[in-house]
Amino acid sequence: MIIHDKNLLNNLALVEEADSLENAGFISKEQKKIIKNELPSFKVQNNILVRLGFFLLGSFLYSSICSFISLIALSGEESFFKICCFLFAGVGIAGAEFLAKNKYYRHGLDDAFILGILLNVGGAVVILTEDFETGLTPAVFVSIASFLTYKRYLHLPSMFAFCMASSAVLFFGMFEIGDIGKTILPFIAMLVSAGFYFFTKSRIKNLTEVYYYSGLSLANSFCLVLFYLSCNYLVVRELSAALLGNEILPGQDIPFAYFFYAFTFIVPVLYLIQALKTKDRILLWISFAAIAFTIFTIRFYYSVLPIELALTLGGLIMFGIAFFSIQKLKNKESGLTFKPDRINNSNVFLNAETLIVASSLGMKPEVKTDSPMDFGGGGFSGGGSTGNY
Amino acid sequence: MTQFDEQAAQGLYEKNLITENQFQEIKEYRSLNIFSLNTELKLLLSISVLLFTSGIGILIYDNIDSVGHIALLSILFVLICGCFYYCFKNSKGFQRTEATTESHFLEYIVLTANVLTCIFIGYLQFQYKAFGTHYGLATLVPTIVSFVCAYYFDNKSVLTIAVTGLAAYIGFSVTPQDIFNSSNNFYDNQSLSYSAIALGVLLIVWTIYSSKINLKTHFALVYLTFALHIISVVSISNMVGDEFTWMLFALFLAGSSVYFYKISHQLKAISLYVFMIVYAYIGINIFLFRVFEHVDFGDIWVLFIMILPAYFIGSIVLFIKLIKNFNKEIAE
Repeated sequence: MIIHDKNLLNNLALVEEADSLENAGFISKEQKKIIKNELPSFKVQNNILVRLGFFLLGSFLYSSICSFISLIALSGEESFFKICCFLFAGVGIAGAEFLAKNKYYRHGLDDAFILGILLNVGGAVVILTEDFETGLTPAVFVSIASFLTYKRYLHLPSMFAFCMASSAVLFFGMFEIGDIGKTILPFIAMLVSAGFYFFTKSRIKNLTEVYYYSGLSLANSFCLVLFYLSCNYLVVRELSAALLGNEILPGQDIPFAYFFYAFTFIVPVLYLIQALKTKDRILLWISFAAIAFTIFTIRFYYSVLPIELALTLGGLIMFGIAFFSIQKLKNKESGLTFKPDRINNSNVFLNAETLIVASSLGMKPEVKTDSPMDFGGGGFSGGGSTGNY
Repeated sequence: MTQFDEQAAQGLYEKNLITENQFQEIKEYRSLNIFSLNTELKLLLSISVLLFTSGIGILIYDNIDSVGHIALLSILFVLICGCFYYCFKNSKGFQRTEATTESHFLEYIVLTANVLTCIFIGYLQFQYKAFGTHYGLATLVPTIVSFVCAYYFDNKSVLTIAVTGLAAYIGFSVTPQDIFNSSNNFYDNQSLSYSAIALGVLLIVWTIYSSKINLKTHFALVYLTFALHIISVVSISNMVGDEFTWMLFALFLAGSSVYFYKISHQLKAISLYVFMIVYAYIGINIFLFRVFEHVDFGDIWVLFIMILPAYFIGSIVLFIKLIKNFNKEIAE
C-alpha cells in the first residue's frame, strides 16, 4: 500500500538520528555528511518555514491547474459542476503520485496535493448528495479517504484529518440517534477515545516499522485530547445548551455536574503525573494545555478574582512553581533534570519566546487624539492596557 | 520514541557509519534516561513574567484615580528597585560579546524590571505630565531605558521591546500582530513610509557598524529581522498604491532583497532568507501586475489562465533551486 520505498523510509530514520547525534555532539560534521551521502533518502524539508512556503506554492499550482480544467470544461457541459470535484481530486491524486514517485516526502508540495484530495472528496460528496442537513456522509467519506492517503503516502496531516473526520462521524452519528444520543454523547466520546487510546498504545508497543510511529503517536495524542475535552465541564455545558436547548437557570446545574467538575480537575493532573512518570514529552505538553483550559473553564463561569489580580497572582504562582522546580532539579544529572538534553533539545519553543514577548509587550504608537487627556490609553504600559487579554 | 532511537543508533553502527566508541558513548548517555524540563520551565518563567507585568499594568490603569498616586508609585518603584538590585548583583556587568550567567532567572528578572520601568514612566507621564506635551519623549525615554538594559544585561527580549519602542516613536507599530494591519496605514501616508524605511536602513547600518567595532554581534539577527520586515512590508503596501512613487518603492524592495540575500548567506539565517524570497516574490508579482495593468485583458484572459500553471511550476522549480543552493552553502 505504501508508495514510498521502505528502504528509503528506514534510511530517513537513520539520517534523522544522525542529525540529532550531530547536534548532540556525538559525531562530527564530516561524519554526518558521509552518512548522508551513504544513505539515499527523500527530498525532505525540515524547516517549517520552507515547508509552509512550498505548501503555499503547491496550493497555487493546484488551484491554477483546477481553474485551467474548469476553463476548458465550462464551455461544454452543464453537468460539469456535478463532477468537477471528482476531477479536481483526480488532479490531486495524480500530483501526489507524481511527487511521491520523485521522492518528495514531507516537502510541502506533497502536502498541498494530498490535502487537496481530501478537500475535494468532501466537496464532491456534498455536491453529489445535495444534503446540507447533516455532515455525516461527507465525514464518513473524508475519513475513509484520509485513512487511505495516510496509508499510501504516510502523510501525517492526513492522519490528523482522519482523526478529526472520525470524531466528526461519531458526533454526527450520535446526533442522528436523537435526543438520547445527544445526552449520552460526552460519555460515548470519552469511552471511544479511551478505547482508541489503549488500542494505539498497544500498536505502538508492538510496532516494528519505524515509519508508522509518528502517525500512531499522533492518533494516540489526539485520543488524549479528545478524552479530556469530551467531559470537560465547559464543553459539556455549552454543547448541551447548543444542541439540546437546555437553558441553565441560576441556581441550577447540568446533570452529573459533580462528575464533570471532578473530571475537569482530575484528568489534567493525572496527565501531568503520568507524563513525568513515563517521561513522555507530548503528554506533558497536552497536560499543560489541559491545565490552562481547566483554569479557563473556571474563570468562564466564576470570576473568582478581578482579572488584574488573577493575572498578577497567577504570574507570581507560576514563577514560584518554576523557581522551586528549577532549584530542585538543577543539580540532577540523570532522569528528571533541568540540564538541557543533548539529544532532544527542543529549542524551537525558546526561539519563539522573543516573538511572544515582542507581540505582547511591544510598544505601540500612542493614538493621535485631539484631547491630550485621552493619551496613554493604549500607550506604553506594556501588555497592560493594550487590551490583549 | 526510545525504542526506535536505540534501534537507529544500532543501525548506524551496523552499517559502519559510526565507530564502536561513539556507539558506546551514545548508549551510555541514553541509559541516563534524561528527561529535561529545561525548555518547559523556561517557558513557564517567561509566561509568568508576561502575566505578572500585564496584571500590574491593568491594576495601575484601573486604579489610577482611586488609590493614592504616591502609594502606587512608591510600590512600583520599590518593585523596580528590587528587580534591578537582583539584576546588578547577578550579572557580570557589561560585556561586548554574548554574556553567559550562572543565574537561570536573570533574563526574566531583567525583562520584568524593564517592563515595570516602562509602566512607571508611562504612569508618571499620564498622571503628572512629566514630559509636558512632548508625547514623543514619553515613548523615547522607555525606549532608551530598554536599549540600555538590553545592551548591559545582554537580553534579546528587552531588545525587541526597545526596537518596537523606536518604531512607536516614529509613529507605527511593528509588533507581529500589527505590522500587517491597516492601523499602520502606510498606504496613504507617504511620509510615514519614508520614515519607516529610514528606520529599517538605520537598523541595518547599526548592525554593520556593530560588527565593525565588535559590539554584541549576536544582536544582528534581531535587528535584521525587524529591518527586513519593516522595509518589505512598507514597500509592498506602497507598491499597490495609486501614486506614481510605486516605482521608487519597487526599487527599495529590490535593493533590500539583494542585501538580505547576501546577509542571510553570511549569517546562515534561513528565516531571513525565506522571508526575503517571499517578499521578493510578492513584489515581482505586483510589479508584473502593474506593468500589465494597462493592457486590455478582454481577449487574452483565457490565455492568461492557461499560462498560469506553467508560471507556478516555473516558480516552484526556481524556489527548489534557491533553497537547495542555500542549504548547500550554509552546510560548508
